[in-house]
Amino acid sequence: MSAVSRASGSSPAELSRIKKERAMRQHCHTRTRSRRHGRGVLAGLFVASVGLMTTAGVYAALSGVATGSESVTSGTLNLTLTADSGGAGFSNFVPKMAPGDTDNVYVNLNNTGTLASAAGMTLWVAGTPANALTNGTAPSEGLTVTATQCSVAWTLATGVCSGSTTAILVTTQISTFNTAGTAVSLSNVPSLAAATGQVAHVQVSLGLVGTETSTNGVAPSPTIQGLSTTLAYTFTEQQRLGTTINQ
Amino acid sequence: MATHVRRAASRTVAVATVLLLSALLVSDPAGAASLIKGKVLGSESVTSGTWAATASPSTLTFTTSTAQSSTVTNTGTIALSGIGYKVTVSNPASGSPSFTIYACAVVWSSGRCSGGSGTKIGTSFAKNSTTTTTSTVVPPLSGSAYLQIAPTGVTSSVTLTLGTTISSATQLRAQVSTNQ
Repeated sequence: MSAVSRASGSSPAELSRIKKERAMRQHCHTRTRSRRHGRGVLAGLFVASVGLMTTAGVYAALSGVATGSESVTSGTLNLTLTADSGGAGFSNFVPKMAPGDTDNVYVNLNNTGTLASAAGMTLWVAGTPANALTNGTAPSEGLTVTATQCSVAWTLATGVCSGSTTAILVTTQISTFNTAGTAVSLSNVPSLAAATGQVAHVQVSLGLVGTETSTNGVAPSPTIQGLSTTLAYTFTEQQRLGTTINQ
Repeated sequence: MATHVRRAASRTVAVATVLLLSALLVSDPAGAASLIKGKVLGSESVTSGTWAATASPSTLTFTTSTAQSSTVTNTGTIALSGIGYKVTVSNPASGSPSFTIYACAVVWSSGRCSGGSGTKIGTSFAKNSTTTTTSTVVPPLSGSAYLQIAPTGVTSSVTLTLGTTISSATQLRAQVSTNQ
């Protein structure tokens, strides 16, 4: 017997209660239906996703089926940095640096991978902390870097190249290439570009440019005086261009 | 009620979108081609020096023609090859005093610099003037040079002020090149 039929002959209060109950039942039913509808959509989309993944797997499996066999070995591109000529390489520059001073560091850049590198190589130098030595806050002042390659190992005692030298970076202020995004391209790195297993003997010269006058014991502001930073030199080589072989 | 339905539908669409995107990513058969790069890092620490000097006392007042002295100290960390002086003489109420400055690498003793007269800085400095001059008698690192200021013609109180300047372009030690 329905609530309405049961209600016939009931009091007005009883009728009102029955109507409320019926309204609540209808509301719950509608919410349940919408949830069921949402779950249905979700289930359908999930099945579609699984189907797509399965299709991709089948496609890959079909693509992998071959009637011949071929061996492939990928090459490696490794760049190492070591001290040249028995020197210390990059290390701490102990003396207090004055404008015009030069700290020559002799390093070997060695392509130890199995891939030749492209002719281009980049360098950027970050200073930590960044200050007027490296970030350009003292205009036209700060540290500079020059890089020169020697065809043979450098003579550390004299800083002389007994072979032939090639400029790979003219004197450049660090403030202009102190981020990866402003890395400078090194030019003429022939021995690395030619073949694998080759070494570039590089002299990296660190200089300080300063045009400051201190007055009555006080340095100007901004100043490059009395600052310390640790320089991180990042050399990056890129593989040679890809080749196409027909066989 | 309508709000509940809309929320449920939105949730469903969001989940489905994530699942579809995941499926598409997994099923992408083409990898992105890129060139290999080799990277190597070297590290070096560096500290810049300082170049500065002070005179003490820097203001000397003369009421008679008796010499006075001032000590110039290297307060920097870089050795010097020269030093600049800015000498300012006031305009006294009377008279026309003039000053001569001598530098000595050691302390003056009874008006003598190691038995000599010291090294004259510039020419002479007249009243009511400001003059810039230089000297190669410099205070060593963490050390001092000694000045003697000799007046003539002082008849009333007159003040001489000594300022110092150190220019990186011309007054620092010789450049150093280090190989490592």
